[in-house]
Amino acid sequence: MSAILRLLFLIVSLSPGLLLLAWDGSLSWTLIDGVRLSLTLTPLAGFFMVLLAVAAPLVALPMLRRPLDWSSLALYVPLVLGMELLLLAGDFISFFIGWEIMTWSSYLLLLRSPRADLETSQSYILFNLASAFLLLAGILFYYSLSGDFRIGPLAGTTFGQELILAVLLGLAFLIKVGTLPLHIWVPSSYDQAPDLFSAFLSGAISKMGVYGLILLLTLFPDALTSLAGRLLEGPAAGYLLAWIGVVTSVVATYKAIAQEDMKRLLAYSSIAQVGYITTAIGVGSSLALAGALYLALVHTLVKVLLFISVAGIVLQTGQRRFKDLGKLIERMPVSFFGVLIGIIGLAGMPPLPGFAAKYLIFVSLVDARWLLLLAAMILASTAAFIYCYKLIYGPFLGHANSPQAREAREAPLIYLVPQVILMALLVLFGFLPGLPVQVLIDPVLVALGMETIGGASWAELTTTYGGYDGVVLMLVFIIAFVLVTGIFLLLRGRMHRAGSPYDLSYAGEVPTEGTPLHYGAGMGRELHRIPLVGWILRRGTRGFYLGLAGQMRAAAALLGSLYVGRPQIWILIAVVVFAASLAAQSMLGGL
Amino acid sequence: MLAFLNDPGVLHGIVVLGTLILFFIGLYGLLAKRHLLKVLIGIALMELSVYLLFIGLATSPGETAPILSDGLRSFTHMADPVPQALTLTAIVIGLAVLALGVSLAIQYHRLTGRADVASLTELKEPR
Amino acid sequence: MTLPLTPVWFVALPLLLAFASPLWVRLRLLMPLLVGTPAVLLLLALALLPEVRIAPLVETIVIAPPLGIHLQLDSASWILVALISFTGLLATAFIWLGDGESYLRDRRAFIFLLLLIAGCNGMVLTGDLFNLYVFLEISGVSAYALSALRRDAPALEAGLKYLLIGSVAAVFFLFAVVLVYLQIGQLNLAAIAEGFAGIPGPMQILIGLLMLVGLGIKAELFPFNFWVPDIYQGSHPVVAGLYSGFLVKAFLFVLFHLVFLLLADPGVAGAWLMGLGAATMLVAEVVALRQDDMRRMLAYSSLGQIGLIALALGFGAEATTAGGLFHMANHTLIKLVLFLTAAVLMRSFVSARLADLAGAGRARPLAAAFFVLGALAVMGLPPLNGFASKLWILKGFAEAGVFWPVALVLLAALIEAGYYFRWIKVLYEPRADLPEARAVERWGYAPIAVAAGLIVLLGVAPFLVDDLFIEGAQALLDRGAALSAVLGAGS
Repeated sequence: MSAILRLLFLIVSLSPGLLLLAWDGSLSWTLIDGVRLSLTLTPLAGFFMVLLAVAAPLVALPMLRRPLDWSSLALYVPLVLGMELLLLAGDFISFFIGWEIMTWSSYLLLLRSPRADLETSQSYILFNLASAFLLLAGILFYYSLSGDFRIGPLAGTTFGQELILAVLLGLAFLIKVGTLPLHIWVPSSYDQAPDLFSAFLSGAISKMGVYGLILLLTLFPDALTSLAGRLLEGPAAGYLLAWIGVVTSVVATYKAIAQEDMKRLLAYSSIAQVGYITTAIGVGSSLALAGALYLALVHTLVKVLLFISVAGIVLQTGQRRFKDLGKLIERMPVSFFGVLIGIIGLAGMPPLPGFAAKYLIFVSLVDARWLLLLAAMILASTAAFIYCYKLIYGPFLGHANSPQAREAREAPLIYLVPQVILMALLVLFGFLPGLPVQVLIDPVLVALGMETIGGASWAELTTTYGGYDGVVLMLVFIIAFVLVTGIFLLLRGRMHRAGSPYDLSYAGEVPTEGTPLHYGAGMGRELHRIPLVGWILRRGTRGFYLGLAGQMRAAAALLGSLYVGRPQIWILIAVVVFAASLAAQSMLGGL
Repeated sequence: MLAFLNDPGVLHGIVVLGTLILFFIGLYGLLAKRHLLKVLIGIALMELSVYLLFIGLATSPGETAPILSDGLRSFTHMADPVPQALTLTAIVIGLAVLALGVSLAIQYHRLTGRADVASLTELKEPR
Repeated sequence: MTLPLTPVWFVALPLLLAFASPLWVRLRLLMPLLVGTPAVLLLLALALLPEVRIAPLVETIVIAPPLGIHLQLDSASWILVALISFTGLLATAFIWLGDGESYLRDRRAFIFLLLLIAGCNGMVLTGDLFNLYVFLEISGVSAYALSALRRDAPALEAGLKYLLIGSVAAVFFLFAVVLVYLQIGQLNLAAIAEGFAGIPGPMQILIGLLMLVGLGIKAELFPFNFWVPDIYQGSHPVVAGLYSGFLVKAFLFVLFHLVFLLLADPGVAGAWLMGLGAATMLVAEVVALRQDDMRRMLAYSSLGQIGLIALALGFGAEATTAGGLFHMANHTLIKLVLFLTAAVLMRSFVSARLADLAGAGRARPLAAAFFVLGALAVMGLPPLNGFASKLWILKGFAEAGVFWPVALVLLAALIEAGYYFRWIKVLYEPRADLPEARAVERWGYAPIAVAAGLIVLLGVAPFLVDDLFIEGAQALLDRGAALSAVLGAGS
């Protein structure tokens, strides 16, 4: 019985991939009078279905580790099915149904973690429902304009109507992707969610917001340009969106550097990465959209990989803070390589495909002549190196700082398989950066009516501003890596190695057990002293939202005082209301 | 001397005035009295005033009971029988409600020793 | 001898069985009959459905209308009757199968439950204004008694409070009935509808306001609904489920039935009711945020949904009305699940307070799962039935290009999420010391499961039943057809 159920679970997790292979044609039926649901697979949705097809089974596999949490497995099923529905939707109602199923099932999955506290779970569900209800409001407004729920370009609308629609839907999707200042729910929920589920949250669910943003563009005949004209070489309406994205990336990057917890760091890094994607969508050109899609793909691969690696570390050590870990490179080598490949992809360094994605976005910014944005983005993406470094150094290098870290063993095989697959994919795309472009991205661009950017071969990434050959680049890096590693191994015997972290002394002080000697301890603390960065780090929106919640409670208490438990007051109010409305009516009627 | 009362307008005016006074006495009792039984009596007074209004306004002076007998062969100059039937029904219902209310009040008094409307405070908003 | 299948059985059968209750006690048939009566009524309703869909059934008692009393079963009242029977069936099945409190299983509870069903059926079926008053009082009296059934201080307090406010409502309504009769000299609703326009304007307003206060108190609209949380908290959750399930729906139906029937142009009255509905919804949802007793929280949530239904019905468009009727049915199913679950939880943990239920989801997983399902449905999350009806209502507003109700409904749903998800989170609180749970009869879950199944079914496949609600909306809104059905063509 249990085996059959687990098999079914795996089949469901594979279903996005199966759908991609088997889906043909379309399906439609009436939900209620006047509401017709239709399912079809557009190339754009197909791209995001690919992301889901990668993330869903790879996250599902480690979830099958014993002891099984049947509730989580059961909730994962509607989650995946809901996301499939969302992507297959040919009309906004099925889109919304999928969106909501995704929202509540992911919330219930979040509750499976014993670490989830009330504030986190409430902020997760309330922000996501606010997003959903804004979406529904936008859908209803769209319906009142077009008379139909089918997703398609609008015609004959005024600027005001388009603006309302763009704001309603845009806000909904921006909450989902977690841009500033609507990101407050992201870090704590990614942090407190069950460890494996964080991978899915960051890798797949946040991409649905990206899908929505791109879908929003397709509603307007000339995408963003039609909204408010052009600014420099790009759409003026997108300029605002691009700045939202860049500010998000900059702030989130510095926040990420200051984190002392692996999952929180990854959460902020997710916000930053999605910020880049948002910027690219704001640019809206064919290059930029290609960059956005490419980065979405790489981010999914990288974040699923990193979160699963981290989940393995947490599983084996029970620790999630940098200062409690260290030196795991010898005990968990596969996880080490997972994180290494992951951060190279995350930082957008060559030779892995993260570079290709960022390159496309940078080039598109140059193309639009939005150079200030470009500068800010380069600032963020350079600063990202610091947190990437922290991520590899903290857990894997230096000294082991807790008994658990000293005795840890490699993560179970079921955790390693997805990591190896993802590493292989990342390396493959490093060799062939043109492969995703030609196979996955160009069809989307064609469907959106844009120029394709695919080069002559899979190995090449080409733009009008130049490109590169992945095979050559990769080989150079591999040779360099082999050389450096070889020299390191040759010279290793002569290096001095400290026997214990306390085998040293500095400035006449003798460190004690309580002295945080790990390099990762307090790393990033000094950032607070940099003028602008310190200001960013000290600010937060949490106070605002807590204040809002407090105001709601005050309103509840105020209105609750109407509900006094005294019958005579109820009757008095009824009689007074009766007399007052009678008087008002007779005055109005009499005059 | 009381012949002016035979004018339907005057009579109906007195009925309206009287029943309204009665209604407001009942309302006063309902709103201002603390003892449960007095409050219930207030409700009963309000109901009573509505019955009186109904009967009073539905009948005019000079109308006879709507019974065909002893030479009365047509329905002229008879009071409308419907209001009286309705009022009887309403009285029965009102009595049932009142009886239930009084019995609940008595049980409440037996259980808690209180008979004050203001002492009904077990169910209320949380602090 | 064959008994004709007529609408009169909806009132007569429960009344007859209730008054013969001593016999049933002796024959030990109390419980089977308690469950059997609503089941039979439900079957009767289903049997009559094909006829009703063709033309409204008008059942004359003794004399033909407009002089005599008649019962009218059209597509709109059919929905209510079916709903009342179905809710009654599930709630009584829960009482029987759940093996719960003895005071719910004795003769008095039997009588009052059946009287409540008879009264509500009568209210929605009757075509006579005074008859309406009588049924209103019958359902009122049985509701007061049901609230006080437990006979401890909170229950008696609930009963007394309910009786006081309910009697005032009845006096107001009776006053309106008296004025109508004095003005028109008719009691038949259709005849009154024809003559209503002839009443002088101020008198129309007075009558309208008297009815609004009388029925507004009963139908739990905003400035008249301060009694609701206290009564729901003091009553047994099953009884509260009946109130929220069909009693208030019946009153709401009567209110809107009168508005649409009596007024040739329901625009102004509809706008008033929309305003009251919106106020009811928002105030209730906000106040619910601070509740820490499950029954009280559910009472406020119920008020919020009632406000939504009033908002939808008051708008008077076909889509919103159909959606509103559908939401009535859906809300009944949902609240049934929630209140019956609350009954199970209360029986298990002897408390309905938030603090005492922390971690209850791990001790009573099934009950907590049903609570989650009901909560998701009441917030209108797909693929559950609350979504389908809310979407229908909102679509109606969007079609008309009126967006303020859409914004308010969505805002209310968000606030609603604020407290329901808090409850869900606390139910699943990881706690080392799980609360000790008393045993619960497993069969008690069966009625909850049936309602839960319907919640899912109607959410996934609302197209199975949407015709019924469209016809119901048409029957409710089409004044001319309703009048000619009673008074004959040409009137």
